[in-house]
Amino acid sequence: MGALRLAWAHFRIGVMNEVQYRVNFFVQVFQSTLALAVGLIGLWLVFSHTSDLAGWSPDELLTVMGVHILMGGVVQTFIQPNMGRLMTDVREGTLDYALTKPADSQVLVSVREVRIWSSVDVLIGAILVIVAVVRLGSAVGIWESLAFGAALVLGGILIYCFWLIITTGAFKVIRMENVLELFNGVYQAGRWPVSVYPGWLRGTLTFLVPVAFAVTLPAESLTDRLTPTSFAIGVAFTVVVVALTRWVWRLGVRSYSGASA
Amino acid sequence: MARLYVGVGRQAILEQFQYRVANYFYMIGMVAEPVIYLVVWSTVVESQGGEVGGFTAPDFAAYYIVWTLVRNMNIVLTPFAWEWRIQRGQLATDLLRPIHPIHHDLAYFAGWKFVVIVMWLPIAIVLTLLFRPTLDPTVGQVLLFVPALWGGFLVRFFALWALGMVTFWTTRVQAIFQLYFTAELLLSGWLVPLSLMPEWVQDIAAWLPFKWAFQFPIETLIGRLSTDQIVAGLGMQVLWTVVGIGVVAMVWRVGVRRFASVGN
Amino acid sequence: MASLRSLVKRRHRDIVAVDGISVRVDPGEMVGFLGPNGAGKTTTLKILSGLLHPDGGKVDVLGYEPRLRRKEFLSQITLVMGNRNQLSWDIPAADSFELNRAIYRIPRAEFEAARDEFVELLDLGHLLDQPVRNLSLGERMKMELVGALLHRPKVLFLDEPTIGLDVTAQRRLRSFIADYNARFGATVLLTSHYMADVVALCKRVVVIHHGRILYDGDLRGLGERFAQHKTITVTMAEAPPDLGTYGIEVSREGGKATVEVPRAATSAVAARLLTDLEILDLTIEDPPIEEVIDRVFSTGPEGAAATMGEAL
Repeated sequence: MGALRLAWAHFRIGVMNEVQYRVNFFVQVFQSTLALAVGLIGLWLVFSHTSDLAGWSPDELLTVMGVHILMGGVVQTFIQPNMGRLMTDVREGTLDYALTKPADSQVLVSVREVRIWSSVDVLIGAILVIVAVVRLGSAVGIWESLAFGAALVLGGILIYCFWLIITTGAFKVIRMENVLELFNGVYQAGRWPVSVYPGWLRGTLTFLVPVAFAVTLPAESLTDRLTPTSFAIGVAFTVVVVALTRWVWRLGVRSYSGASA
Repeated sequence: MARLYVGVGRQAILEQFQYRVANYFYMIGMVAEPVIYLVVWSTVVESQGGEVGGFTAPDFAAYYIVWTLVRNMNIVLTPFAWEWRIQRGQLATDLLRPIHPIHHDLAYFAGWKFVVIVMWLPIAIVLTLLFRPTLDPTVGQVLLFVPALWGGFLVRFFALWALGMVTFWTTRVQAIFQLYFTAELLLSGWLVPLSLMPEWVQDIAAWLPFKWAFQFPIETLIGRLSTDQIVAGLGMQVLWTVVGIGVVAMVWRVGVRRFASVGN
Repeated sequence: MASLRSLVKRRHRDIVAVDGISVRVDPGEMVGFLGPNGAGKTTTLKILSGLLHPDGGKVDVLGYEPRLRRKEFLSQITLVMGNRNQLSWDIPAADSFELNRAIYRIPRAEFEAARDEFVELLDLGHLLDQPVRNLSLGERMKMELVGALLHRPKVLFLDEPTIGLDVTAQRRLRSFIADYNARFGATVLLTSHYMADVVALCKRVVVIHHGRILYDGDLRGLGERFAQHKTITVTMAEAPPDLGTYGIEVSREGGKATVEVPRAATSAVAARLLTDLEILDLTIEDPPIEEVIDRVFSTGPEGAAATMGEAL
């Protein structure tokens, strides 16, 4: 499909060019290790005072943390760089070039950039998940793995949609740096399973800023908590949000083109 | 000198008030962190029958709400700014002025803090309504809170100003700074109140300046310290501020010499 | 190829950026849009490339309505804006070209042929593998143009392509564009406030001022339409006498002197000069185009219209 071909071309060239800067790899590894250490210390602290957090055991929480880091890596590698460039393009008028190319503009602005060294977090998160699952000794068979993979994909798509809607819809009102701060702060909430949060916050973290879908859902699939209902809701919600995102994007382009309402 | 401080302070207030939307977004984004900590610890408290490490759930709420104010007061010149200043030649310009550049920074951030304090109040009200903290300070505690708050600002201001000067000797500063901030996160009462940390960690933290910039002001207001302890704490803040100024003075002299010789 | 009929484009605050522009461009034509900043040239180009939606009127480019942004349409046009780069800053131009190849789905053989040919024409071979940010402004613009033409578009929209370049680079770019037009019969729509661009490339000029067309025709006609006077230069054996009685003396150097006379009086004054003086050589010329344009633009829309009226 055209979109995949475009994505692959940009990915290949982006990686080729970034890989030369090997210093960035070491910087990333250092940063990620530090963050991991802090995360583990936090987890250990909590469990030095209790043995169970809202029904989640230490190893189960380790799973959540692993997914959180993994998803964070995906966002930093594929999503955030593109959103940043989109903001710049809108501000400087270079979006014109993306709009005069014979390619779907939403696809184009979403695949152009990649920050490959951030994928270190994807690796770290994956390792953490595997370690946690092994320690749990839980039965992770073919269905659970598939569900896990699917949940990850859904979560990734949801976060992408969320970011694109914010970037497209709000750039006139808010500056990118502020949105970034806000999102990164709220994303930290994904370090813990959504059931920890009080009811009123849970809804926000599930549907408004889909952190819960992105992190808790995949973690649930590995810790025997995922029900077909919640999975179905996840899928349905994702479909709706994807359609909404498309609509918001089209609206954004029309507004940029000065199309009268 | 006083005129410089008033002038720059006022400039800071005006400018930051102009940027109030950006400031608000930043402050709201920052609220996410303590709320997350609060929620997690409240959950722990629930499973432990109402109290953990001497804190009940409303106690935690109080801690983390005052946390937001102290955190904002803690924001000072980032050590990362030094690289920018050196490369853009701003440092060279500053060196030509008859006044030490630290005065401008201090005055600017101090002025900015007034805006921050004012903007924080509505956020505090919302958080209080949402999380029902035990917040019942006596008049005396509120009065002592004010110097404690500003003392925290000063301690951290000089500490980070000194840290930033590492940039004179190397450009690979990211690792050093991040290590510093990680240590601070764990040892200042930022992540959790130190009483929840193991004893040996608390012992280490007692020798470092971090907690005097962060946990101490918080505890002053939420009423966990006796008057004697507060006064002693204020003394520690003075001590660490003086140490900070001393380090800055020493490192500055050596650093400027190196900067001048290397030329950048 | 491109026709706009009675375009109207409103911006917020109700400034009419483009008001009643009707233009028809045939395939292979090179048309220059001249006008001061804010005249509506860039707006017109953006409407033609589908970036802006007009509030009224019809637009047709290559048989398509640009604002629908159909892929078939977009793969036959290209947009180059002189003050904004499309090539990625940090990667070599060669890589940006590869990305364009993927986007335009150019078959590899054709892509390499076009790339190699253009790169050689502009003498850029050694720069292909350098990050674009290391290139000088002139080299960068040349690379931009190459990148923009790899898919051999039929219509080129060039918005101030030579802005900020030194004279040599400008000339190279112009001859390259002229070459492309000659070889592929591409239609070129160029905006510029450098007269030299237009003079070098375009036989046809459209002058836009305050969103309206002041003139649409060839360059020579432009001078004739707007210039209210001509210059007569006489060459004599020794320094000519004071020519104040013939017209306004504009310059003098050695045996040469130039006077400015009202257009209508040109032949009469020339005849008088030839009769009265020992003339070795006499030349009648239009004032430089730049002056003409400047004078037109420094008047407001009413003044410009009045100028047109006067000249008629």
